[in-house]
Amino acid sequence: MDGAFCVKLLDHLQSGVILLDSQEQICVWNQWMVRHTELNFNTVATQKLNTVFPEITQSRLQDCIKQALHFKLSSMLTPGLNPAVLPLYQKPSDRNCSQRIEQLVYITPISQDAQAFCLIQIQDMTATVRRERRLRAQSTNLIATTYRDALTGVGNRRRFDHDLGAFFSDAYRKQQSIALLMIDIDAFKAYNDHLGHLKGDDCLMKVAITLQEGLRQRGDCVSRYGGEEFALPLPDTDIDLAYSIAERLRQLIEGLAVPHPASRTIQHITVSIGVSAMIPQMGQTTKMLISQADQALYQAKDDGRNRCARYAPESNAVPKKIVPQY
Amino acid sequence: MCQLTELQCDAMKELFNLGVGRAAQSLSLMVHDEVELSTPDILLVQSSDVVTTLLGSEFKQLSMVTIDFSGSFDATAILLFPERNALAIVSHMLDPHMLPEELSEFEQEAMCEIGNIILNACMSSLADEFRIEFEGGLPVHYFSDTDSLPLFGVKREDETNQVVLLLQINLSMRQEQIHGHLLFLLSVSSLNALLKCVDNYLARFGVT
Repeated sequence: MDGAFCVKLLDHLQSGVILLDSQEQICVWNQWMVRHTELNFNTVATQKLNTVFPEITQSRLQDCIKQALHFKLSSMLTPGLNPAVLPLYQKPSDRNCSQRIEQLVYITPISQDAQAFCLIQIQDMTATVRRERRLRAQSTNLIATTYRDALTGVGNRRRFDHDLGAFFSDAYRKQQSIALLMIDIDAFKAYNDHLGHLKGDDCLMKVAITLQEGLRQRGDCVSRYGGEEFALPLPDTDIDLAYSIAERLRQLIEGLAVPHPASRTIQHITVSIGVSAMIPQMGQTTKMLISQADQALYQAKDDGRNRCARYAPESNAVPKKIVPQY
Repeated sequence: MCQLTELQCDAMKELFNLGVGRAAQSLSLMVHDEVELSTPDILLVQSSDVVTTLLGSEFKQLSMVTIDFSGSFDATAILLFPERNALAIVSHMLDPHMLPEELSEFEQEAMCEIGNIILNACMSSLADEFRIEFEGGLPVHYFSDTDSLPLFGVKREDETNQVVLLLQINLSMRQEQIHGHLLFLLSVSSLNALLKCVDNYLARFGVT
């Protein structure tokens, strides 16, 4: 194969080929490169790659070229870790909107007649990267949907189970306190029966949105536990902080002043909240935290609703005798 | 079977730590976040024992990047992580919010590059300090199970003639520690050549 034919062969390739000599000077620059840089071989011949593309000075590509020429080591640069290494464009108009080609670059040493060369091959990965991005966006969207309650837009039961599990094991590992709020809309059945399911749904949405908005600053995620019950796991939170968050949320719902025409005792929609917290110990599970928050919630209901109650372990035990201290 | 002396062990540990230190630097630059790498342990085993020695029960699915090096001695260098750990590394590097399940071929390519950076850094640190030369090929990435591990790099002639220099490698980033292994598959003659390099290196510093 003669030299002219080799050049022709390189020019027909559907990927970029650059050959650098031991001085890092360009000695091969195929048609693919000409097409995507608008620089022809005569313009770049004997120039260094970082003279043609000053932006690669001190980049990983430059390091890899040095490694190939001086250590004879090969390298690859993937589009995931090195977005659009070289200023290559599919068409001239892309240059204006800086739509670079996504590139997969291979750098390999070649020696010929005791002289070291560095071969750079560039593949166009734009279509692949675009497809990946689209798939990622779709999968992110699908995952978000599977964790969202269809009616209220807050987390669903799956979200709650996932979050609580993750926070709980994290709390166990770090020996930090984890808290849980169980939030129940007071006399919701009567509201639903009296006003119908559509009004009931409206009420659930209002409460859910208000709870979520109230938590915006801390970035916590409230989930619908079931029916008219919501749950809020709080990482790195002790019982006092959890109680004050609960109290704030209770007031927010009361402040909505959604009329409750079906109840004899309350005028507006309110919530009762049970609060529990623990530093998880060996053998304890999330069930314990949930059951404690539940017990506190019953307590709040028993005490007359529209209030928060914290789980008190001794509340079920025999009351201690009070010994007067002198 | 040859054994490494304590001095040889220490010297190689030092050289590999130098190498992975450089790799950590380039990785940190790439992800704009602190990446630390260390290789606390070094061990010499028969290639047929690799699976049982170290990988047997710990993990089944493996991610590995291999590069063939030739020069003063020939070696197949392998960076090996349990699949789950490899995916954790890549997702940390590309997008911390990505779930391991979401990773595709595309991200495996990134793992290949990470392996490339680490293995090249190790070999160039050896080349530098030993004042020798290697030629290194392009990295290849595999997902595999432990059963097929001995197949890689074992030159067909005589399996027992292969030894493996086994290093533990710890990668830490974003407060997470990820463990894996560095394997260098060598023929006995290549191992002897390597040990000769180590001894010369030690002699240069007046340690024998």
